[in-house]
Amino acid sequence: MHIPDGFLDAKTAMATGVLATAGLGLALANVRRTVPPRRIPLIGLAAAFVFAAQMLNFPVAGGTSGHLIGAVLAAVLLGPGAAVLVMSAVLILQCLMFADGGVTALGANLFNMALIAPALGYGIYRLLRRIVGKGLRGRLFATAFAAWCSTIAAALSCAGQLALSGTVPLRVALPAMGGIHLLIGLGEALITTLVVAAVARARPELLLEPAGPRLQPRYGELTARGVLVVLGLAIFVAPFASGWPDGLEKVAATLGFERRGAAGPVLGAPLPDYRFPGIGSTALSAIIAGVAGTLVAFGLAWLLAFLLTRRRGAGAHPGGKGTAPDAPRAA
Amino acid sequence: MRAGLEDVNALEVRELGYRYPDGTAALRGVTFSVAEGERVALIGPNGAGKSTLLLHLNGLLPEHAAAAPVVRVFGTPVAEPHLAAIRARVGLLFQDPDDQIFCPTVWEDVAFGPQQLGLRGTQLAARVAQTLEQVGLTGFDERLPHHLSRGEKRRVCLAGLLACEARLLALDEPTSDLDPRGRRELKSLLVNLPVAQVIATHDLELVVELCPRVIVLDRGGVVAQGPATDLLADEELMLAHGLERPHILRHRHPH
Amino acid sequence: MHRALLEPYQHQRSAIHRLPAGVKSGGALAFVLVIVLPSRVAWPAYAAGAGLLLLLAGLSRIPPGALARRLLLVEPFALGVALLSLLQPNGLMVFAATLTKSTLCLFCMVLLSSTTRFSALLRVLRRIRVPSLLVTTIALMHRYLFLLVEETGCMVRARRSRTFTRDRASAWRSSASVIAQLFVRSSERAERIYAAMCARGWKT
Repeated sequence: MHIPDGFLDAKTAMATGVLATAGLGLALANVRRTVPPRRIPLIGLAAAFVFAAQMLNFPVAGGTSGHLIGAVLAAVLLGPGAAVLVMSAVLILQCLMFADGGVTALGANLFNMALIAPALGYGIYRLLRRIVGKGLRGRLFATAFAAWCSTIAAALSCAGQLALSGTVPLRVALPAMGGIHLLIGLGEALITTLVVAAVARARPELLLEPAGPRLQPRYGELTARGVLVVLGLAIFVAPFASGWPDGLEKVAATLGFERRGAAGPVLGAPLPDYRFPGIGSTALSAIIAGVAGTLVAFGLAWLLAFLLTRRRGAGAHPGGKGTAPDAPRAA
Repeated sequence: MRAGLEDVNALEVRELGYRYPDGTAALRGVTFSVAEGERVALIGPNGAGKSTLLLHLNGLLPEHAAAAPVVRVFGTPVAEPHLAAIRARVGLLFQDPDDQIFCPTVWEDVAFGPQQLGLRGTQLAARVAQTLEQVGLTGFDERLPHHLSRGEKRRVCLAGLLACEARLLALDEPTSDLDPRGRRELKSLLVNLPVAQVIATHDLELVVELCPRVIVLDRGGVVAQGPATDLLADEELMLAHGLERPHILRHRHPH
Repeated sequence: MHRALLEPYQHQRSAIHRLPAGVKSGGALAFVLVIVLPSRVAWPAYAAGAGLLLLLAGLSRIPPGALARRLLLVEPFALGVALLSLLQPNGLMVFAATLTKSTLCLFCMVLLSSTTRFSALLRVLRRIRVPSLLVTTIALMHRYLFLLVEETGCMVRARRSRTFTRDRASAWRSSASVIAQLFVRSSERAERIYAAMCARGWKT
């Protein structure tokens, strides 16, 4: 979801630029403080690794394909500060040398994929691990769900930015970006978790453990980061919140009308799933659909972690639900 | 062997021992010395500890926990607070040149060492130009590392070390995976460098051509050291330590 | 992408190539800002911009086919999102303007990156005081990217020669283990790079 030049207007570009600079500055300070010099080259190599991983594409519904973002993968392997640095390096290189992502959109792209995705993802990961415990299964479950969430969050933020710029109306951008990334997020979760599981099997000492008390961030920094994330999300998601109270029926009617005549074959069919039949208020139904989707993802993440750790070394059976045949041990 | 008031060896190693973090002994009681300008080969089977030994020469591995320092370079112990100076004096050539060339271009990589030593501007440019000429890579300034051949990469690494004005070179398998031409070029380069060299290698033909003296390492200990032609011609010794007599000596008349 | 990493055209000697990197990147940035920031659609300006870029492309003497190919690589996403913009009143105008602006900027950046060595861009970044930790990360990433892509190719080929089933599940599994292996190797290499940097006196 690298936004090209020309899709964001001046105010959005500048606002995201400021937020991205602030967030990146915080992350750099964090890395300088918490990462020992011997791991600095690893950050550079991890960036190369994420760059290469982003070239992977996997099929999603209806002929479209999705790409890995890699933010949660970097965060689980290296920690959140380093992950922000890794993702920023990747995005900057892509922008400058491959024209993948616009220069004026760099702030927004950094905000979505190098700040929101790793920070939110890592936050969810840590939270879940604290709840679920320190075992490998807990780690994999937390990784899977966090990766899925990070993709959605980045997509929603992106949609908000496009809407704020007047390029794509919010009622289209949100379901389109959010919807397709509900599925792409599954791919991200799957790949991220498989890789973390494989690393855990090969070299468990490489997986980063949560920082001990000595390395806990200062409260001031935590607050600053929290404020930044909240501010950014508020700016881009608030229009969503404010748009709903008025003219719900009108929006629904327009959207229904648009859906029938939509000229967007690029995106698959998540739209119908966003509504529960028989429920009058579309806001409520959207919220219920969102919650239901999240619970499903939660369940899938747990199932994946379960399957990956059920027989240690017996290999993974991705795709979750259903049969897990007795496959011969992979080499 | 050497005359003059300055009778300091380029390298003195005395009873060097080292254990890996998991407890296995990598080096046991290693003792030898290298005179200024001398070329010495370090040979032995895989796993003998050659690379580990080289890493001690510029303090990359923690020093022996003895009261007296066990490794001295030009008289200076390889320990804090001398490490910065030691690392300028000792040039370590890594086995994989890709590990050693980490800057975006050849020029920047060769300039890295002198820059850390404080050189700037025209002095820096002159130093880099001179070293590149020394290794035969003039004009390679803007080349990207992944465009270079194996042999060229090795020479860039060497240039990076020479740019720091190293007086002792520690070379880890310098001719491994080089084609015959690359090998010839590197060999003629090393022959013409007046600095002391410790060359860890499997390339026994190279040893005969370059190094008058040889140290045989096996299982972390020195099992023999002496003139190359004598030791390398000793078939029993060679076979006992996972080596073999080089072809070049099979057809020579023993002196 | 592979080919772009090899920098096939950056070493040519046209008038454009010889301009200092700072001038080129500053000019590119200015161009993009002028096209993108004004909220009013200005077709004459876009036409002039297109003309300018074509002129510069001609002067750079890079084969037009190569430039076109690089442009086509990044167009699809722009096209896809632009199509979404049709779904609003006045959509057609927004669609056309957005697509035009983004194509012009894409072309500008493709031209910049085709005529400028990456090491030169890094120097520009350092000069404008981008934090050195970030620049070092970008530099190391770029340096080892090619090596990583090669290693990936080797590992994928090795896997493929040992795979006898076409089971999708095992394809996913082996992709993940290739990626994990790459990470492990990268960690090990990073340790050695750190040693090499220290060996030449790196002051952090």
